[in-house]
Amino acid sequence: MTATDPTLDVELPDPTTEVDAFTTPDERPSPLGWAARGVAWLALAWLILLYPGNIASPFEVPAFDANRMSEAAIFAIIGLSLNVLIGYAGQVSLGHQAFVGIGAFTSAYVVTDLTQEVVLGVLVAALVGAVQALLLGLVSLRLTGLYFALVTLVYGVMAQQSIFAIESFTGGTAGKIAPRPTGFESDYRYYYFALLGLAAVLLIDRRMLRTKGGRALLALRENPRVAQTWGIDTKGYTLFAFGIAGLFAGLGGGLLAHRDLQVVANPFDFNLALVFVLMTTVGGLRNRVGVVLGSIFFAFLRNGYLVEKLRLEEGIGPIPGPLGAIDMSPEFAPLVFGPLLLLVVLTRLPGGFGQLARPFEEWLAGRRFRWVEADEEVTINDVRA
Amino acid sequence: MLLAITGTELTQSLVIGTVNGAVYALIALGLVLVYRSSGIFNFAQAEFGTVAVYGAYFSFTYWSFPYVVAAIFGLACGIAAALATERFVIRPLAQGPKVTLLVATAGIALLSIGTAFWRTGDNALRFFDPLTQWEGARVAGVQVSGQRILTLVLLVVAVAALTAFFRSPYGLAVLAASQDADASALVGLDVKRISMLVWGIAGVLGAGAGILLQGGNAFTPGAITSLALIPGFTAAVIGGLTSLPGAVLGGLVIGMLESFGRLSTFDAIPGASSVSVFVVLLLVLLVRPEGILGGRATT
Repeated sequence: MTATDPTLDVELPDPTTEVDAFTTPDERPSPLGWAARGVAWLALAWLILLYPGNIASPFEVPAFDANRMSEAAIFAIIGLSLNVLIGYAGQVSLGHQAFVGIGAFTSAYVVTDLTQEVVLGVLVAALVGAVQALLLGLVSLRLTGLYFALVTLVYGVMAQQSIFAIESFTGGTAGKIAPRPTGFESDYRYYYFALLGLAAVLLIDRRMLRTKGGRALLALRENPRVAQTWGIDTKGYTLFAFGIAGLFAGLGGGLLAHRDLQVVANPFDFNLALVFVLMTTVGGLRNRVGVVLGSIFFAFLRNGYLVEKLRLEEGIGPIPGPLGAIDMSPEFAPLVFGPLLLLVVLTRLPGGFGQLARPFEEWLAGRRFRWVEADEEVTINDVRA
Repeated sequence: MLLAITGTELTQSLVIGTVNGAVYALIALGLVLVYRSSGIFNFAQAEFGTVAVYGAYFSFTYWSFPYVVAAIFGLACGIAAALATERFVIRPLAQGPKVTLLVATAGIALLSIGTAFWRTGDNALRFFDPLTQWEGARVAGVQVSGQRILTLVLLVVAVAALTAFFRSPYGLAVLAASQDADASALVGLDVKRISMLVWGIAGVLGAGAGILLQGGNAFTPGAITSLALIPGFTAAVIGGLTSLPGAVLGGLVIGMLESFGRLSTFDAIPGASSVSVFVVLLLVLLVRPEGILGGRATT
């Protein structure tokens, strides 16, 4: 598959896909293979498009489950936002909970206090997110290194204790009402609203990599010094990445607000910022499918949903120890297994979930099912810091 | 409104700021040590302290160790956590991008917090007796406990010891390895052992800060991280990230900023403490990005 960028007159290979397999005719799947792939595609489409909406499902899907799936879609947006930062720009944000939280409150404020449409509220939230990230980026880029992480870290704490405490903006401890858009009121319908947001983010992310800015970011990631000698404005394009990441985070926050119907400041704490970083990295940096899978996984792990759903709590059970057996409450599972997974991914599986999903993707695209080693891309040293 | 600050309130918050700042400075020292020798932002630094406090608490309360042994056992737990971090996470990733290492240390912090939550329950408050029963002294109308005075004394000792360390052959080896690991290995330095040494010292600093901060206070999982990690980082950045005196100065500045933020004058501003810390961090990065005492040749 090749893509033609309308702004350039050369045909460029799609950076996200492999070489076209159809050039070798013997790799073409058999009719049975095509049928199997068709069934798999249909099942996937059903799982994403129909199942959460309780359509064409052999059993009743509880509204609660649909709600969790909306959350998973929103987490995927936030994961893609961090992917732009960590994966493309080589910077980390440890204050992403603040971008998301401020996005949530902004959207709720625009809709409830200024009585505007939800769509407008979410868009304003996205813009506010972009502006915040740009301003923090401007300050932290005065030094080379990972100062953005530290500035966002302190910003997150400041937001939590100060901005979230402004009564007129956040409604104090009672929180702020965030109604759902017309036509998407039910939990099932709202899933499609969140999915729409995710689709938009995926599309922007995909298109962005093919623009001049996207290419500059890829070059920067490979080697900032070489990129600079080609005349690429290192700071300018890193700022561009911050802006895009802030935009996505604000959008995710806005969508989260209207999913919850009411925004309260409590959940937007530092632990959430760490979970965001975990899910993106475990998912697999620079791999959209991986990041989305990682985000969904961590969204389901929250509050022990996945553990309860799969009835794992009997398996984990009370663990005997020198201090007496203590039950594992399912809500602590993500806090223990999440970081463990992260450390395993970092030291053993640099491609994360994305690397594991790659053979399935290849198969679905009509190629052979083959386990692959980590992408060369993923393991390349980032010499930015 | 601004004139409402009385002299006593000001001196009192100066005292409180110094006392709190001493703990931030201890955390900042550990961060600076690791950053200077390997260029890593270590987000697990404060967790070494939490591990130490839990080690001391469990060995004292459940296994009825004598108090001094329990405190030393806690310190050993903190050091062990630091060494394990170096061996199992930092060393395998040493050639990787710095951003990966940052994420990894943050992962260790979260793993430690998560394990503590899981094993001890969400709101289980624990209490470890202070290191000294001395009730301390009254300074400008503020009761400063013996533990806090001990913290200040140990902070001075730690800075002196670290400064001496960096002038010793071992310290020079650490600096050499941080500048060029390959070249250092070529002239016969054991780079792996040097890295272990640095993380071990960082463990001592973190564990010490934890026991000093939490001794005599009730604590929960992740206590030191939530109380002191972020101020410690801000302190290190303001001080210059490579300067040991800068870390101490930064710690004291942050401690005072926080206590000034709690002055009655600023009651109207929600979270005035954290706003002032954030503003000062931004100002330092804008005006003097290399930090107050940073950018100099190493001491």
